Amino acid sequence: MNGKQFGRLDRTTIRLIALLSTIVLIVSACQAAASPSPSASAPPSTAPVSPSASAGEAVEIEWYVGLGTGENEEQIPQEEAVVAAFNAANPNIKLKLTVVDNDFASDTLATRLGANDPPDIIGPICIRALQSCGGQLLDLAPLIQSSGVDLSEIDPALIDAYKVDGKQIGIPMAVYPSFIYYNKALFDEADLEYPPHEVGAQYDGKAWTWDTVRDLALKLTVDSGGNDATSSDFDSSKIDQWGLDAQFTAEDTRAWSTVFGGSGSVVAADGTTAQWPDNWRTGLQYWYDGVWKDHMIPTRSEAEAIGGGEDRNTFQSGRIAMDVVHQWYTCCIYPSTGEAAVKAWDIAVLPEGPDGKVTSKLHADTIGILNSTKNPEAAFEALSFLAQSPELIQTWSAMPAIESQRDAFFAGIAPWTASKSPAVEVDWAVSTKMLAYPDNPSHEAFMPNFDEADAANKSFGTKLWTTSGLNLEQEIDKQVETLQALFDEGS
Amino acid sequence: MAVTPGPGSGQAVAVLPVPRRRLPDVRLGRESRTGMLFVLPWIIGFVLFYAIPMIASLLLSLSDFDPRRPDEMAFIGLRNYEQMLRDPVLVGSLWATVRFALLVVPTTLAFALGAALLVNSKLLAGRNVFRTLFYMPIQIPIVASTVVWIGVLNASNGWLNLALGSVGIRGPDWISSTTWVHPALLLMGLWGIGNMMLIFLAGLQSVPTELYDAAKVDGAGPVASFRHVTLPMLSPVLFYNLIIALIATFQYFTQAYVISNGRGDPGGETLFFNLNLYREGFAFFHMGYASALAWLLFAIVLGLTIVLFRTAGSWVYEGGGR
Repeated sequence: MNGKQFGRLDRTTIRLIALLSTIVLIVSACQAAASPSPSASAPPSTAPVSPSASAGEAVEIEWYVGLGTGENEEQIPQEEAVVAAFNAANPNIKLKLTVVDNDFASDTLATRLGANDPPDIIGPICIRALQSCGGQLLDLAPLIQSSGVDLSEIDPALIDAYKVDGKQIGIPMAVYPSFIYYNKALFDEADLEYPPHEVGAQYDGKAWTWDTVRDLALKLTVDSGGNDATSSDFDSSKIDQWGLDAQFTAEDTRAWSTVFGGSGSVVAADGTTAQWPDNWRTGLQYWYDGVWKDHMIPTRSEAEAIGGGEDRNTFQSGRIAMDVVHQWYTCCIYPSTGEAAVKAWDIAVLPEGPDGKVTSKLHADTIGILNSTKNPEAAFEALSFLAQSPELIQTWSAMPAIESQRDAFFAGIAPWTASKSPAVEVDWAVSTKMLAYPDNPSHEAFMPNFDEADAANKSFGTKLWTTSGLNLEQEIDKQVETLQALFDEGS
Repeated sequence: MAVTPGPGSGQAVAVLPVPRRRLPDVRLGRESRTGMLFVLPWIIGFVLFYAIPMIASLLLSLSDFDPRRPDEMAFIGLRNYEQMLRDPVLVGSLWATVRFALLVVPTTLAFALGAALLVNSKLLAGRNVFRTLFYMPIQIPIVASTVVWIGVLNASNGWLNLALGSVGIRGPDWISSTTWVHPALLLMGLWGIGNMMLIFLAGLQSVPTELYDAAKVDGAGPVASFRHVTLPMLSPVLFYNLIIALIATFQYFTQAYVISNGRGDPGGETLFFNLNLYREGFAFFHMGYASALAWLLFAIVLGLTIVLFRTAGSWVYEGGGR
């Protein structure tokens, strides 16, 4: 081959490569457009389309976890085991588990929706996440009807909570009332009575209110010298143990306001005006003073110092006496490895708030199917399996929405809670009692321009949790102005 | 039919072949063709992963694209660009980025140059060990190192505040304070100056030793040598590092995202331009606006780079004259 021939061949090769590259570019550019977009798929309320896989080929269904509970490292092995059990029992369906950190789960899902790469099943999904992606969920009503799933045992109010624009986007699966987890060892050490387990009961001769909780929490807040927060020798720069916390609220001021102030909303009845109700102002002031004046609630840096960094799992450290968290927190009292710091614990009812009522901030979870799924029937089959899995209910510490299943649920928890500390005997009746006092409207309920308003409330929470000496009334007023601007922008 | 008249016919109508006009030879030389083949993978990668996304983002910047509702996308002309003019969050993020750049760029350059001078010094024992130690942090993924730094900078039990406490100084809440969060990010950044240090080191080692000898003969001490020999000779490297550092600062994202959960806290101090862009696109799903912001970032960085290149003639030594 002489040089000239080589040159010609080379030129041809270049042309071929260029042609191939162009084809690749065109194909890749057109691929997204050629695939059906989520909205272009069959209308959700009509009959489901047939599975896209050919006969004999397993249909892949992706289950996306992280929008609610279920992403803690302690929970993942159990989820994997349930997926394996489903796959073994259903050779025609291959269920694939994807777990995403809760902080990034919504963003990741939206990105995947936009990239035309959506999963099939999402959940457990909380009320907050529904505000962002509820419109993308399949109407399950036809599938429920055709499969004969019985919903008669579920509280109709809970079923309605999952109706969006007339679509039944989820079957109520789990409810998580909140209450006070308390470390019995710290109460014993301080020679103090345990908090009450009955609504309306008194504590040490006083009504069970947040003021009573404050008095108690101050006695349970202790510095490294052994002085409690009622002592004049107490050193707030060297706190060793805190009396109170409301962990895992993601710095959400709506959540803190509800815990300490009772039900409320930042949206007035007209649906467009921003507000901060009086009971929420009182509640938030209580929390803020608890952090910066009374020092009975850890600051963010203190919470990170004792709670495993960004996890902020403070109660697990054994250095928090009382902690307002939801039923789902049962999963994470004990570390996944190593010795448990909390040996003896129980749960108590929440006190009466500044609005004169007991309010138990409620979380609820469901599993939904994205309306972009190409295999709705297979997805519903997987969903039905997951929703009825006792192992998942157990690992998510999910109180069943079906009332008749609750006794079995609590009986199932007992051996698990005792596995790391045999002395523990939890009064789970407190949890079902708290279910009668849900926050209404929910602290995760809709706001105009939801994503931005939610982010603004969390940034506000960060500011309050990390900055001392603020005039809270002024800060709240500024926050209302911020929210109003966002609401106006959204409308 | 063409007839060629015989000689002496008197009717000499010569039909001679007209030489064709020679077109310029656009064929590549053999060496160039081989070179082209070798760079073709890069060109394909560039077109696939840069050029097409850039064109797509330009088109998206003219739309109100929401990834959750791709079917509802509408073209809205220049409205996203108009919105920038009245977006206080954008102004805040730009201001935070500029202030951060003013703090970080000179400090990082100074520390990297200082470290390079140190590990280049003949007086330092175990120079290679120190070079390795300075460079090693580069190998650690940014997210992992940031998580470690969050622990180091914790106000209650972080090593830094414990060290300050041991000499009677109460350390600040580095990550949560609007005053201290930029210095905290600077500290994280200084830990990773290895790359820049290496480039400076290469520059230092290429300075001809005769120049130092000549300076010494003229009576120059170490400071004068540094000022009149090292700095001018190093100015092209300094210029390169300056541009890279400036671009990196305007693209600063990961550390700010990790320490603030993507919200830009405290008080918007870490809501740098790129984080704001990400938030608009992936947290608020204003993908069209985010694309417009990306083009603004491109314009800003391009503008700054042009300005720097224009001024380079007055301070960058280019071998043979300024």
